[in-house]
Amino acid sequence: MNSLTYKGYIGKILRVNLTDGTWSDFSLTDELVEKYIGGAGLAARILYDELEPGVDPLSPENKAIFLTGPVNGTMIPAASRVGLYAKSPLTNSFFHSSAGGHFGAELKYAGYDGIILEGASEKPVYLFIDEGNVELRDASHLWGLDSNTVQHEMHEELGSEEIHIAAIGPAGENLVRFACVICGCRALGRGGLGAVLGSKKVKAVAVRGQGSVEVPDMRKMRLLLDELFAKFNANPSTSEIMPRYGTPVLVNANNTLGMFGHNNWQDEFYTESEGLSGETMRKQLVKRDKSCFACPARCSKFSIVGEGQNEGCCVEGPEYEDIFSLGSMCGHNNLDVVAAGERLCDDIGVDAIEAGVSIAFAMECYEKGLITDKETDGIELRFGRDDLILPLIEKMGRREGNLGNLLAEGVKRASEQVGQGSEFFAMQNKGLTFPGHSARGMPGFALGYATGPRGASHHDSRPTGERTGLVKRDTIEGKGEYTARINHLNILTDSMIVCHLPEAIWGPLDITDNVVRCLNAVTGMDLTLDQARKTAERIWNMIRMFSVREGYRREHDTLPGRFMEEPIKTGPSKGMVISREMLDYMLDQYYEFRGWDKETGVPTREKLEELGLEDLTEDAANL
Amino acid sequence: MKITIKSFANIRDVLGQAELPMELAPRATLTDLFTRLNSEYGENFNRQVYDQLSGELVPFLILINDKTYRTTVDMDTPLSDGDVVTIMIPFDGG
Repeated sequence: MNSLTYKGYIGKILRVNLTDGTWSDFSLTDELVEKYIGGAGLAARILYDELEPGVDPLSPENKAIFLTGPVNGTMIPAASRVGLYAKSPLTNSFFHSSAGGHFGAELKYAGYDGIILEGASEKPVYLFIDEGNVELRDASHLWGLDSNTVQHEMHEELGSEEIHIAAIGPAGENLVRFACVICGCRALGRGGLGAVLGSKKVKAVAVRGQGSVEVPDMRKMRLLLDELFAKFNANPSTSEIMPRYGTPVLVNANNTLGMFGHNNWQDEFYTESEGLSGETMRKQLVKRDKSCFACPARCSKFSIVGEGQNEGCCVEGPEYEDIFSLGSMCGHNNLDVVAAGERLCDDIGVDAIEAGVSIAFAMECYEKGLITDKETDGIELRFGRDDLILPLIEKMGRREGNLGNLLAEGVKRASEQVGQGSEFFAMQNKGLTFPGHSARGMPGFALGYATGPRGASHHDSRPTGERTGLVKRDTIEGKGEYTARINHLNILTDSMIVCHLPEAIWGPLDITDNVVRCLNAVTGMDLTLDQARKTAERIWNMIRMFSVREGYRREHDTLPGRFMEEPIKTGPSKGMVISREMLDYMLDQYYEFRGWDKETGVPTREKLEELGLEDLTEDAANL
Repeated sequence: MKITIKSFANIRDVLGQAELPMELAPRATLTDLFTRLNSEYGENFNRQVYDQLSGELVPFLILINDKTYRTTVDMDTPLSDGDVVTIMIPFDGG
């Protein structure tokens, strides 16, 4: 029985002990949802409370949490997400990754807001929640299958294609540190959370349900939905550009600004980028547009490779990030290879950003003579070799040979193995590689990358304000507060959970009324804008304290040497760089705005008390 | 004076070509350019850059000869003969 005052939630999370094969319900309380909302906020609180500091992310002592937020399963536009949360084997800190599609809504209709997976099974298993009934089933016959095949096999085994499945591929089983989880065709992509499931021998989670999500006042809800859908339909980004080209439109946009990572970020202007552009993709690959649950933007593209070696390969995508990482970063513009590479990343179960950036890193190491044929198993790794992309994804996903094992550790650990100064161009922060948005070309975003609790994530801060000219991109003044406010917008929307892409509606520079009204309409909370911002700040500080407890401090809020010492070489952003002095200046601004200690980057006692996190002050004092 | 408009994605689709030559009155501004495009290409162009509820030009960047200008504050910028004006797309997300 749901004892919550608030609507929008089912009121319970399924807690599964994989070690002994038992489960129980974890009931949500008013206090928990008031303070942490759901999704990333609630998961951070649970994991802070339940994980010992220093726990090995790939040990049974880590926990993996699938979680929704209050708006998921309703018709709030872009509320299609589900989140996965754990201590990351890439970053050794709290990590959250979310995916669109339909899994999140279905999980709630099946009777749960989320699932906590703890311990580890001895043999492969999958979890099946069917209309509130829970089963832990043997998955030995599914172990080894790719993430697409396993979903087909399970649909057949369970007798319905209406069941929504989140599954790992061989990379998760092989504990590749950037293994992902695939839901349908969408990825819980970053942070290696697929390896956490693999370490627990969980091959998949399947959900089916016909329940519903209750809201306090359906009439008010309908009025709000009418207004929001009208805004989506009126805004050029959500009504015209996303449906037509999706995220790949950014290839030409970013390259025109000289902010498109190329050859492992040795430059940010790629003269052959047209071959990778959204316009080329539309003509060459796209067969139809797709929507996630409850989203009018239709930004997802269903593509089929029409000719050549990869003829017939179909994929939902590729997205801009795939094109950046598997194409431009590796020095080629073969869009067919990118599409096939993205499909292979999904099937084998690796994060396509990390995969492409890892290959690019290895190519630069090889060209500079830091690794040789011995480390590459005889492969001549050079930028532009599009024929290597698919074989190398296979090798890393299956940990084959010296090179496969090196790449499977992610760029940070690979650079530690290679040494010889390769850390300078290991394009990562805190273990997570940089996605396809410029740090050097956008100082505020560079600060967001540096301070991101997930490392170099483009969803802790966002590039949008500087890229669209809402703020000046050629200045470091004011970027501390600018970045902190965007952090808060992102973490609140990640806790509700709604997609970030319709940023013009949600923000994009701060939490707006549109966000708060969605939250209030679904839950019956009566949050003011200021209260919502305070809630977001509380969650951000909660997550910071998780990182602090794992040893992260100011010195880890940084950028790779390349971004701080090598200006962009060519194109319209030529000369732009984020020097150490510039970063330090912005960090001071950021910590000061946040009320954190400037020397250490640790939240002060006063700040934690102000945010209702008094129980963390002792941890902060005992560091 | 003569300028060249460079565009891509939806705006290129509407203008029909990646590089479009255009004749404008001397000292025409960015606002004058957008008024002209709005007038020549009508709703098809309007929907790509103006919010259809507020009627306002949404935030995005414009390059004049590779120098960046912002629609939020720079629309009074005068153009010069021979300028190459690149219209970025108003895309959030990514």
